[in-house]
Amino acid sequence: MTQIIAVHSFRGGTGKSNLTANLATSLGLNGKRVAVLDTDLASPGIHVLFDFELDENQKCLNDFLQEACPIKECVHEVTPDVMKALKGQIFLLPASLDSDRIARLLREGYQVEKLNDAIFAIADDMNLDFILIDTHPGINEETLLSAAIADHLVMVMRPDSQDYLGTAVAIEVAQRLDVMNIQLVMNKLPNQFSRDEVRLRMQESYEVSIGSILPLSEDLLTLASGGLAVLEYPNHSWTCGVRDLATVLLESSGD
Amino acid sequence: MSDIDFEALPHRPLTMSLILELEPAPLRHLLKKGLRRGLTTHALRLCLDSDWGFALESEPASELLCALQERRWFMRSLHADLWKTHLGP
Repeated sequence: MTQIIAVHSFRGGTGKSNLTANLATSLGLNGKRVAVLDTDLASPGIHVLFDFELDENQKCLNDFLQEACPIKECVHEVTPDVMKALKGQIFLLPASLDSDRIARLLREGYQVEKLNDAIFAIADDMNLDFILIDTHPGINEETLLSAAIADHLVMVMRPDSQDYLGTAVAIEVAQRLDVMNIQLVMNKLPNQFSRDEVRLRMQESYEVSIGSILPLSEDLLTLASGGLAVLEYPNHSWTCGVRDLATVLLESSGD
Repeated sequence: MSDIDFEALPHRPLTMSLILELEPAPLRHLLKKGLRRGLTTHALRLCLDSDWGFALESEPASELLCALQERRWFMRSLHADLWKTHLGP
């Protein structure tokens, strides 16, 4: 059965898309078939990490949500070469970066129920192991739906007071929706912070599982979304943290 | 759980934010479970039994399901043995 993982943050700039892409890649390196949905429709960008660019004849999630395009036509394989020998595959359902189309989507909206039906349609049709949903930051109809239908919710935050407060709100909402398996990820932790103290504060603040604590990394800043850290820096501590999170998700999926 | 006034539920299209507001908790849980692929009659029976203490054929269960169907929030599929939460008008 396909496992749905929603990756969410209350605020922007947490590195949510970067984590989503690298988590998908880690799962792919474990031989899994993974689809990634960019539901951050107002500010899409995860396709950049997979070095994917839509050409004018290719379809994206906007075509499915606002036109009559079948969801299968919005799926594009972005499996890195190194993964092919390991039998893993990654499929991307990107969102449009065209400003007119973003504006139209914000103006007209769409039926969020279509997103639910699409996720389970591709899960069945493509025999996927995992679907990762890269959500829009904050709380809106789409993010509530993504959290509610997910088997796992990965909440990403930074060591910032606003993030601590906002994440508490998001977790409270998720718990009211009876969301299962919340994994909290601290990203961009500066070296001068004590990991143990941060872990303790997270545990005391939220009483949910700590999925990973990932360092603020010069290497990732230098990479600047121009690639996937788990492939470019396989021994980096950030990569190890993402791999640990993938292992937690694999194990809790019964793998 | 049978003392809920179903008539007091709002008559407006269901949204995720409305689900979040609804009380009691078993109502939110039922509507959440009806997302994804929906619930088979068997799964619905188990849900009503565990969360509400109702048998599917009982009067309070009928009242609940009628109230939800009237509002188009939770409906039985015409094509399959599925009860599904419906978002929107």
